Amino acid sequence: MSGQDDPVQREIHQDWANREYIEVITSSIKKIADFLNSFDMSCRSRLATLNEKLTALERRIEYIEARHYVYVFLYPKVTKGETLT
Amino acid sequence: MPLVTRNIEPRHVCRQALPNTIRSELECVTNISLANIIRQLGSLSKYAEDLFGELFVQAGAFAIRVNTLGERVDRLQVKVTQLDPKEEEVSLQAITQKKAFHSNLIQDQQLFCRPSLPQPVQETYLTCNPPPPLNNLSQYRDDDKDALKFYTDPSYFFDLWKEKMLQDTKDIMKEKRKHRKEKKDNQNLRTLNPRKIKTRKDEWERRKMGEEFVVPKNDMGESLEGLNGSIGSGEGCYSPDGLDQSTGSYGLDPGSPLPHPTQDDFLPPPPPDMGYHDGQYGAPTQKRTSLLSPTHPPPAPPMPCSTPTGTRPNLSPPPAPPPPPPSTGFGVPPPPPPSGFDSSPPAPPPITNSAYPSPPAPPPPLSQASLSPPPPPSLPQGGGAPPPPPPPPPPGPPPPCGPPPPGPPPPSFSIGAPPPLKSTQAPSEAPPDAHSDLLSAIRQGFNLRKVEEQKEQEKKDNYGNDVAAILSRRIAVECSDSEDDSSELDDDDWSE
Repeated sequence: MSGQDDPVQREIHQDWANREYIEVITSSIKKIADFLNSFDMSCRSRLATLNEKLTALERRIEYIEARHYVYVFLYPKVTKGETLT
Repeated sequence: MPLVTRNIEPRHVCRQALPNTIRSELECVTNISLANIIRQLGSLSKYAEDLFGELFVQAGAFAIRVNTLGERVDRLQVKVTQLDPKEEEVSLQAITQKKAFHSNLIQDQQLFCRPSLPQPVQETYLTCNPPPPLNNLSQYRDDDKDALKFYTDPSYFFDLWKEKMLQDTKDIMKEKRKHRKEKKDNQNLRTLNPRKIKTRKDEWERRKMGEEFVVPKNDMGESLEGLNGSIGSGEGCYSPDGLDQSTGSYGLDPGSPLPHPTQDDFLPPPPPDMGYHDGQYGAPTQKRTSLLSPTHPPPAPPMPCSTPTGTRPNLSPPPAPPPPPPSTGFGVPPPPPPSGFDSSPPAPPPITNSAYPSPPAPPPPLSQASLSPPPPPSLPQGGGAPPPPPPPPPPGPPPPCGPPPPGPPPPSFSIGAPPPLKSTQAPSEAPPDAHSDLLSAIRQGFNLRKVEEQKEQEKKDNYGNDVAAILSRRIAVECSDSEDDSSELDDDDWSE
């Protein structure tokens, strides 16, 4: 009986081994997919905060440029007078 | 229903039918599973590349912005440190001619339109059935409309909203002109300038004691009429904000256009009747506290009830048709419903069943064209044919005023278009040469009409799909309109 079962048993053992192998591979694939998703989310959130900071900086620079322009052009006589005297 | 952006392709590794002629089935299953795993790895790598590509593009854009910012900072630094000791050539004209600093907020718009769809979702979408190629029939139409747009039009709601906004701006400008004429006629009868200065001092003196004790000027003049007038204006003051809150509660995204029409309904009434009413619109918050003072009885309850219902006719229908917009939301993306419709009628919801037998999807929304349209950024996108960015607008009456059932109207359009042509041609041919002036005038009139239509079309094309510009234009017109009206009415009030 054991001789009869042996090839079948061997096959079943082999099948179980194969399945375990396949299961390991598929669970690693799922881990990779999870990692990619979380990486994507975190990257997007960081890029979004960067974007906000960039826009805030850009607006500040615009304001400073405009103010400096007004200052330089509106109050030149002050500097001119100082240099002359 | 959340849509999966990226789907790794062979979802089930082992679920596959085995061929019958195989002896060692277990090995066969193992081999099939391994092959599917390799396919899954392939699709995973493709999606990973897509993912990193998107992130890379975004990061690249930010890098460019950071570089430009850095350059600007350097330039500013140079300017600030090195230019002070130098002499700068200045002309006073340069200072006055330069326009004042105006920070422009770039608003995000057109966020959820077809071009902004991420690539994987676009691919998923392309696997669906496209709509039938009805555009092949457009060449047989008499009016210049896309035949496919009667079946499914992705830009329908945006076009509707745009038309409504433009129409509203025109209406507001017309009203403005009318009121300006009226005010000019009224102001010609009085002399305003010397009196203005006096009454402002009165106003400040009354406010000296504290704003709560400011008794409105009306009461000093007429007792009963003043009471009724102040009560009426008190309710008039209450209702716009009450309406604002109620319109805000409807949860429409461009909520700002909606409260303004309600305020407009109060501002236009003629000055002699509502002079002291509208005079209080200049500072409604201050006056409301004064009206709550115990000297006045509380406003009668029936008044606020009547005014909101009277001035909210265009808002009462929205609760009624929530079924039809979702039905068009179902009806507009063609791929799933046609397959569902073909396979089993009970499968799709009954609303789409009722929407489909009526010829194309647009008629149900067209029938409620008088409503405020749903906000354009949340466009339902449907139709495989990508419409050109400004879709060709139909000449003549705008679509909301177009007839609701499109079956009868295309013939009526085509019949309507030739008769005017024929009517102009017939009189042009009928008068003899002795009336050559009339003939030439008629011909010129006909040509002028064509040119006007072309100008209108060009204007519509030039407006484009800039949501922010359209909205801002309309709001600017409304604000300037209300400011002008209130300031002019305030002057009228104080001049008394």
